[in-house]
Amino acid sequence: MSLIMPGAEPFYFPGGRTGCLLIHGFTGTPKEMRFLGEHLAGAGCTVLGVRLFAHATRQEDMLRARWRDWVASAEDGLHLLREACDRVIVMGLSMGGILALLLAAEHAVSGVVALSTPYDSPDPRLRLRPLAAFLTLFWRFARKGPPDWHDPTVAADHLEYPLAPVRGGVELYDILAELRRRLPSVTCPALVIHSRGDLTVRGSSAEAIVAHMGSGDKKLVWVENSGHVVTRDAERERVFAEVLSFVRGLEPSTA
Amino acid sequence: MTSIAPGGEPFLFPGGRTGCLLLHGFTASPQEVRELGRHLASHGATALGPRLFGHATQPGDLLRARWADWLASAFDGYHMLRGVCDRVFVLGVSLGGVLAFHLAARLDVAGVVGMATPFGPPKDPRLLLLRLAAPLVRFVPKGPPDWRDPAAAKTRVAYRVYPVPALAEVESAILAMRSHLVNVSCPVLLMHATEDTFVPPANMQAIYDALPAGDKAMLSIPHSNHVLPLDASRSQVFEAAADFIGRVSR
Repeated sequence: MSLIMPGAEPFYFPGGRTGCLLIHGFTGTPKEMRFLGEHLAGAGCTVLGVRLFAHATRQEDMLRARWRDWVASAEDGLHLLREACDRVIVMGLSMGGILALLLAAEHAVSGVVALSTPYDSPDPRLRLRPLAAFLTLFWRFARKGPPDWHDPTVAADHLEYPLAPVRGGVELYDILAELRRRLPSVTCPALVIHSRGDLTVRGSSAEAIVAHMGSGDKKLVWVENSGHVVTRDAERERVFAEVLSFVRGLEPSTA
Repeated sequence: MTSIAPGGEPFLFPGGRTGCLLLHGFTASPQEVRELGRHLASHGATALGPRLFGHATQPGDLLRARWADWLASAFDGYHMLRGVCDRVFVLGVSLGGVLAFHLAARLDVAGVVGMATPFGPPKDPRLLLLRLAAPLVRFVPKGPPDWRDPAAAKTRVAYRVYPVPALAEVESAILAMRSHLVNVSCPVLLMHATEDTFVPPANMQAIYDALPAGDKAMLSIPHSNHVLPLDASRSQVFEAAADFIGRVSR
């Protein structure tokens, strides 16, 4: 018996001296990164997929979570990979992309991949932030936006909390402000991937992230036929290939 | 913005198919078990020391912690090791020992090393007073360290205060452990300092008695206080842990 949702456990796949840290999104679980992780491990990378605090347990736990807890969870993964790897590429989906970028702004990483990552508030309800202290007294969970999956078979076995914790929305608002403040300090090579079919985070976010990051070596890749969870939706193989090709480009050439 | 205290980071030392999950104690950090992890890795094990939630960041983070959060942090480490190892041993100090028994009662664990593990709440009379004052007092400074190796005490990465509301969570974890001990079917090595002034050695006997009959052993460690893997007799603790893991793995 585990406290963690079966199938949503964090994972570690040992491999070579190139490490990939995979960070899932808000209310998501490590499962949404696991298949990308398996792909990268299959290509020889050492892969670690963290579980962010209060995720993949009980959604009530999210009411106690603060965004700095999630930064610390992501940093944990970076430290766990240090001994096994000479270089680490951090990558995340949605809020996991925010965390990856914050890590890249603060720590020595070789590259960063932001998938479906927001730059500003993806949900108009986040504008209620100034009222949060009052609202969270009686409003604990909110409905999520409509699902935008293009591959319904994957949607059926996706794991996440069914509701969005209101307190968590506050933290999302605040971590977005931190992201906008820190993006110019991201100077490592960067890959941004976004789907034009993403109904949760609009594509303008991807353009804004690329525009505001300090990196000289940065690339924006669009996919067409996927929803928000590009790591699992219909074009996942293309996403995996783009990420792997980016990782390969950061490894010292053996020639 | 880096949020984890320098030196208090979690660690993963890659090695062979025997995994060692090392769990630190309340208000401490992975630093408490890092050298033990190094030692076990030098014997060929893969060693992983997770950071329990709310530790090695800000003491205020522990005000939001529930003991199930700490158990979930331990589960995280277990799951990461599970993918690489044929067998996973769980070692813990104090609260970490409590969590180790929780894991062993629920998951496939090859063996447990419980160091300075409490069976009842620590016998510090101030703690009882604090429990009563919890609604008013959020933090209380720790007393001066009483270590046999004062130099090691200085290198410690730990909070200097007890977040008072979290003490009740520690107690809940201990009480819940008691009812689970009977489900621990793997080999167990208990270690306790004869001079432990924080969790008296009688706690070791109580845990031993509550465990089912089987492969279980007690080892009393002289010349050490509570923090066994850092204090003066740490080498003896390291060797005993490595011997136990070697013997059970054969």
